[in-house]
Amino acid sequence: MTSADHQATHDVVKHSERHEGPQKHIIVFVLSIVLTAIAFAAVAAGGVNAAFTVLLLLVMAVIQVLVQMGYWMHLKDRGHMMPIIFMLGGFFVAGTAIVTALYWVWW
Amino acid sequence: MAHAHSVKRHKGLMDWLTTVDHKKIAILYLLAGGLFFGIGGIEAVLIRLQLIKPMNDFVSAQTFNELITMHGTTMIFLGVMPVIFALMNAVIPLQIGARDVAFPFLNSLGFWTFLFGGLLLNLSWIMGGAPDAGWTSYTPLSTTTYSTTHGVDFYTVGLQIAGLGTLIGGINFLATIITMRAPGMSFMRMPMFTWTSFITSAMILFAFPAITVGLVLLSFDRILGANFFEVSNGGNPILWQHIFWIFGHPEVYILILPAFGVISEVIPTFARKRLFGYSSMVFATILIAFLGFMVWAHHMFTTGLGPVANALFSIATMLIAVPTGIKIFNWLFTMWGGQIRFTSPNLFAIGFIPTFVMGGVTGVMLASAPADFQFHDTYFVVAHFHYVIVGGLVSGLLAGLHYWWPKMFGRMLNETLGKLSFWFFIIGFHLTFFVQHFLGLMGMQRRVFTYLPNQGFDTLNMVSTIGAILMGIGILFFLINAIATAFKPKGVAADPWEDGRTLEWAIPSPPPEYNFKQTPLVRGIDALWKEKMAGNKGMTPAEPLGPIHMPSPTILPFVMSVGIFIAGLGFMFSKEDFSNSFMSLIFNNWIVVIIGLLITFGSMLLRSLYDDHGWHIEVEELEEEGVKA
Repeated sequence: MTSADHQATHDVVKHSERHEGPQKHIIVFVLSIVLTAIAFAAVAAGGVNAAFTVLLLLVMAVIQVLVQMGYWMHLKDRGHMMPIIFMLGGFFVAGTAIVTALYWVWW
Repeated sequence: MAHAHSVKRHKGLMDWLTTVDHKKIAILYLLAGGLFFGIGGIEAVLIRLQLIKPMNDFVSAQTFNELITMHGTTMIFLGVMPVIFALMNAVIPLQIGARDVAFPFLNSLGFWTFLFGGLLLNLSWIMGGAPDAGWTSYTPLSTTTYSTTHGVDFYTVGLQIAGLGTLIGGINFLATIITMRAPGMSFMRMPMFTWTSFITSAMILFAFPAITVGLVLLSFDRILGANFFEVSNGGNPILWQHIFWIFGHPEVYILILPAFGVISEVIPTFARKRLFGYSSMVFATILIAFLGFMVWAHHMFTTGLGPVANALFSIATMLIAVPTGIKIFNWLFTMWGGQIRFTSPNLFAIGFIPTFVMGGVTGVMLASAPADFQFHDTYFVVAHFHYVIVGGLVSGLLAGLHYWWPKMFGRMLNETLGKLSFWFFIIGFHLTFFVQHFLGLMGMQRRVFTYLPNQGFDTLNMVSTIGAILMGIGILFFLINAIATAFKPKGVAADPWEDGRTLEWAIPSPPPEYNFKQTPLVRGIDALWKEKMAGNKGMTPAEPLGPIHMPSPTILPFVMSVGIFIAGLGFMFSKEDFSNSFMSLIFNNWIVVIIGLLITFGSMLLRSLYDDHGWHIEVEELEEEGVKA
């Protein structure tokens, strides 16, 4: 068997890797809530300035997405190359449309 | 390990309604595709008959608008898409050495939603007028201000339901190709048809959500009084064009890529050579898909996007000629020095190449934004897209159907009739559409229902109509061929073309319902050819003979689709003023919609609560059949 064969037959997640214990998931769960809380607090507090709040929200959102996808959707685990590729593909297609609509097209 | 438990086997019609076997679903797709292709073809002939001479009154202007709209919509969404899915269903599991698709239930659901969406759309002919705003259904023409009948509602709801089926099918094939390849079949050993179908499915996954959103917005505008495209209330009609073409341009590559795949299978088989430049073919396919999402605005150069957008979209569009050119040259180099046999599938494949090149050349011409201001909405555009879709895609599909017919049905198509249909088709095709380039350059607008005499249009339109009739005769020959073949006895060899290269030719024609008795071990590109060259009789099995797990047949996908169909009809007529009080009671109070959705969601609930573990074909049964084969 060549290495390519090996890749094709073992593209499936090993069962043991799915069960890494609740500890990590609890940490991630708390982290998700904290991220959400920060976002809410930033808006509730008002203060500083709007541009900073928007930036903060965006950063929190990006971290949130990464955490959710990595841990809850298991994208960080082995054998998830295809979902990652397709997710990036989706981002690319949607991103192209949005960037074009915002910066190239007059209407 | 295998618990023998009997499964209810259906016979006759019930067997077809409940089947989850990819080979039978392929035949269903082919029948449905054939039906809609026939309807679209008749519409095409009626269009050409109307345009045969100046100031003709064969059909009225309104009927003509309905004809062109339904011709385009039917052919794209309901004609060629299902035939593509027919080939994908018939061939891909066999080519990758799988026993079925990843989700047989979804496969059936995808077919039935497609069929009911298509039927709903075509019901418009007998329910108060077909859609008449063009297959692109541009706003504001398609808004209630200008399209007062229910025609466009049939378009939005029908396509929504049919699109659901396509999306389900696409996702199913992605999962199938990623997870169900036989041991040893790495991505870079997949047959080209599987590769192009894989990329096409990925494009379906990314492109169809755009049209789904667009159709939702348009139907909300029309039925619920929303204002997404209504200028007077702050909407933007150009938005529809963007949404439509963000879907629509990838859609044309969704259509053509499987045809590229067919050509890449047929030409090596009948040249007795492996495909030239396999990895560059894969690369070109991916690049076409990638670029396909960045060019949609070339359909909109004349809407006034601005010079920056026009220039960038021009360049992106022209770039697509590069990977496409790679493919064309690879096919030519595959034939170079091969022992070419001019069988009917190979004739269609060879005819495809120059025809598609011509369509590609006019495509690059149209990509040039300044020139496009001249070509836009003329017959030049009509000629261009028929060259790529009919001369390209339909030729490719006919090549594929002739090629895989013995595998699908166990009977060879008649070669003489196949060749007759090829010559009538290709001569008729070029007669019809070649002259339309010049009609367009002379200024004949597309979608006009008639024209004045003595503008230089008369002769060319006559020629075009004669060509269309010849092309129709070619398709009729194919139909006669298919029907005549159905009465011949089954029993062609596993590899009837004798030079089969890929896995589907390693198993009987038609294959048994479990396809592969033992999953084959793949040792290289063109797995079967490799074994033949090594002097082996067939594929080396990758597993011992064991009981085969099969999915149970089920009526639920059919029932779910009926539910969606009913809900769709109810939604369309929810704001209609009925003279009959009972009708207004059930429609205006959303009762029909609720009944339809209850049927669908009820079936889903049933599916979720009732565990069906399928059934097994036992080893003894397999061995018995083995003696016969």
